Amino acid sequence: MAETRNALIEMKNINLDFGTVNALSDVSVNFYQGELVGLVGDNGAGKTTLIRILSGMYAPTSGEVYFDGQRITRFHPKLAIDLGIETIQQTVGLCDNLSIARNYYLGREPVKRWLGIIPVLDFAKMRESSNKVIRNFGLRDTVNVDDEVALLSGGEGQSFKIGRAVDFRNRVIIMDEPTNHLSVRERAHVNELALQLRDQGLLVIYITHDIFQVHRLADRIVILENGRKVVDILKAEMSAEALEQIIRDGGREASEGTA
Amino acid sequence: MPAVRRFFKRPEATIIIGSALIFLIFTIVDTENWFNFFTIRNITRITAILGLVAIGETLLILVREIDLSVGSVYGLVAIAFISFEPALGVQFSFVAALLMAAAIGLLNAVLVLRGKLSSMIVTLGGLFFYRGVIYVTTGSTARSFPAETTNQWFVQLFGGNWLLGLENGFWWFLFAILIFTYILFSNPYGNHLLAIGGNIESAASRGVSVRSVKTIAFVLCSILAGFAGIISVADEPRLSVTIGQDVELEAIAAAVIGGALLTGGRGSIIGAALGTFFLTAVRSELITLGAPPTWYISFVGFMLVFAAVVNAFIQRRVTGTRTL
Amino acid sequence: MPRQWIGILRKRTEVGAAVVTILLVIGFTATTEGVWLSNANMREVLRVTSILAMMAFGEALVITTGQIDVSVGSIFGVVGILFLALGPQIGAPLAILIALVAAIAIGAVNGFIVAYFRISPLVVTLGTLFVFRGLAIGATQNPPYYAADNTMRANPIYQIFGSSDVFGYNNALVWAIVTLLFLHYVLFWTPIGNRLLAVGGNAESARSRGVSIMYTKWGAYVACGFFAGLAGILETSDLGYVDGSFGRQRELQAIAAAVLGGCALAGGRSSIVGTFLGAFILSGIQSYLVINSIPPQWFILLLGLIVVLVSLGNRVLTHLLTRLARAEKTKD
Repeated sequence: MAETRNALIEMKNINLDFGTVNALSDVSVNFYQGELVGLVGDNGAGKTTLIRILSGMYAPTSGEVYFDGQRITRFHPKLAIDLGIETIQQTVGLCDNLSIARNYYLGREPVKRWLGIIPVLDFAKMRESSNKVIRNFGLRDTVNVDDEVALLSGGEGQSFKIGRAVDFRNRVIIMDEPTNHLSVRERAHVNELALQLRDQGLLVIYITHDIFQVHRLADRIVILENGRKVVDILKAEMSAEALEQIIRDGGREASEGTA
Repeated sequence: MPAVRRFFKRPEATIIIGSALIFLIFTIVDTENWFNFFTIRNITRITAILGLVAIGETLLILVREIDLSVGSVYGLVAIAFISFEPALGVQFSFVAALLMAAAIGLLNAVLVLRGKLSSMIVTLGGLFFYRGVIYVTTGSTARSFPAETTNQWFVQLFGGNWLLGLENGFWWFLFAILIFTYILFSNPYGNHLLAIGGNIESAASRGVSVRSVKTIAFVLCSILAGFAGIISVADEPRLSVTIGQDVELEAIAAAVIGGALLTGGRGSIIGAALGTFFLTAVRSELITLGAPPTWYISFVGFMLVFAAVVNAFIQRRVTGTRTL
Repeated sequence: MPRQWIGILRKRTEVGAAVVTILLVIGFTATTEGVWLSNANMREVLRVTSILAMMAFGEALVITTGQIDVSVGSIFGVVGILFLALGPQIGAPLAILIALVAAIAIGAVNGFIVAYFRISPLVVTLGTLFVFRGLAIGATQNPPYYAADNTMRANPIYQIFGSSDVFGYNNALVWAIVTLLFLHYVLFWTPIGNRLLAVGGNAESARSRGVSIMYTKWGAYVACGFFAGLAGILETSDLGYVDGSFGRQRELQAIAAAVLGGCALAGGRSSIVGTFLGAFILSGIQSYLVINSIPPQWFILLLGLIVVLVSLGNRVLTHLLTRLARAEKTKD
């Protein structure tokens, strides 16, 4: 199925090696505005690695990445954020020793000017914004924005990261296993949000290894296996069961069958 | 070339080249002073003593720890050896002094592994604490063995020169190199040590007891430092309370110059030995050439950083480690 | 324990240092029949405190980012020598400027090698310690020391530093307090400080939010070098004299002061006020030993002991308080 509109993100022949370990092997995939792409695969398939290139944390060993038609030559999280890419990652994203409020705007802190010249953190704004998130995302009532993140549970931290990314939404939101540690209600909330963001015209990349969950949400599904792309199709073209079968077979059937 | 690549994969690659170079340069430039027996004996003695400490330091660096107190332990154990002798006799005094070293190593291990403190701060505290103990217990004057004690065979075992006119300490050093190289590469303990340095989680998940391995490393390091101290005073008429001062810096420098990386769990016994030789040779030559002693101090500092940077670069290139 | 107390204890890491300070003041005054707290003695204690605090402030910044700098003693010495060696030739103001620039440069070199090449902070600053100690000794062979001449001493700029007093208290105290206020503001009320704390707490997470770890870590070393150099100038301008032994073993004192003040060695937790108190505690102890004619070697012994005990105490306390605070959160 040919795509006629321009891709927001193009990744061509991406290879990524960690020393002698090859994490991604000749992966080519495009992403478009206003779609929700499910990035699926078993553990170790390379999903997190792939999106870490997009979030600027890794640079590919070879291959090209284009954003909005421009070739990306340098990879740093700040550059990704400036391009409008927000990422929710599983293991990083919050500093335990800082308060929730301080974590919220980390890297782009709002500043007030005392007496017109002296820069001071705008604590009021930091508290207000982060407070909205923790109240909207169902964190315990006892949690206060001045509490250190170390006091949050895993699920609360996750919810906070999601709320923060949604608030900062720009052009792309990448969610790496966003529903881990979340309750059923919280999961529904997050998935609803993902759809809303897509409807607002953002590109949403949703990583999970639950093929059924993402099949309901996604417009397109991309399956990675052992660092290679094995499937890249619209949702309508294949059922969730069929896709799950492919993953279970280790991608063999797909790579044998696809043209 | 694959052979070249394989050579450079070894942590001691750079120091092998460095030592060979320095040896060559000195032989050519200053044959007379460099290549004579007196110099050789002197260099082997100093290299042996410092080298023992550097070996111990390397063991710890391999498991991503460090011991900054080795200089003070070196001094404390040496002084203990001499001080215990009147009461215990030479042999028991030797054992007691080494047990003291082991106890210090054990204390370090407990504070780091159970107290969960960084080895840097624990041993930095130890550096000062044990130096303080030396000052306070000796009252600023330390005496060495009287002549008749020095002449006892047991003392001479460490301080004399029985073989080829070289100091016995040197043969002990070679022996240590052999033993520890064997331990590191052919013994399960060494395997575990290297595994922890490589990847602590996977090592632990494969059943390696990180705690025991590290504890043993701490103890070995202190014992080696103490042993080196004993050798240094076994045949030494003069003794000062500053004995061992800065030994930790030189030993760490030797280990790092020998290829040990504090960040990467990478190092080598041969490397530490050659690193020590390198530093000792340069210092000896600088003295012979009449250079002010401060040149050596700055040189060690510079080499330390230079070697660390070069070795890090080589390791990253050769193993293809990425920026993250 | 009431929730508020837990919160205060966890966030205000300097509370421990404050409590120890108060106990110390009471204890020392009582056991020296007031001599320790006398005006004459306190003036000197506060002068020594201020200079140590300057070095410790810089060290605290580096420690906050999860790194260490053991070369501060050598920077202190070398900058002091540079200052007094050049002063008589080119005048105090220019000498001070050059000396401070040198301090910044050394810090920059430390930071560059550590942050850009990603080499162990201990190894790099150990190397720098050696290099500059060698240079310091080399520069004080012939002549063996440098002294400020009368022209220098008369210069008002020279006097702003360590050689004159304010109400009887050495200027160094003013410098220390101003620096304290400034750094406290920077660390806790500015974006830079937020990022310093973030990098120390979880560098990867900070990076994922766009913070430049390299520049943050580099900057900490530059600041540390600067303050170590400034401390050197304060000390040498007070004494009017410097030799090759200046600064030796000061690095442990600086680190100890920071740790005493509540800074976590692993990074992410810091207190500038606490660091000042830590410097005061150490200087107070030193003074106490002198008053009681206890040989100075005991100080070194105590220093080693204090550093380890306080680190242990800090760790246990933080661990305990976090568990308590978490429990509080789940109770309601």
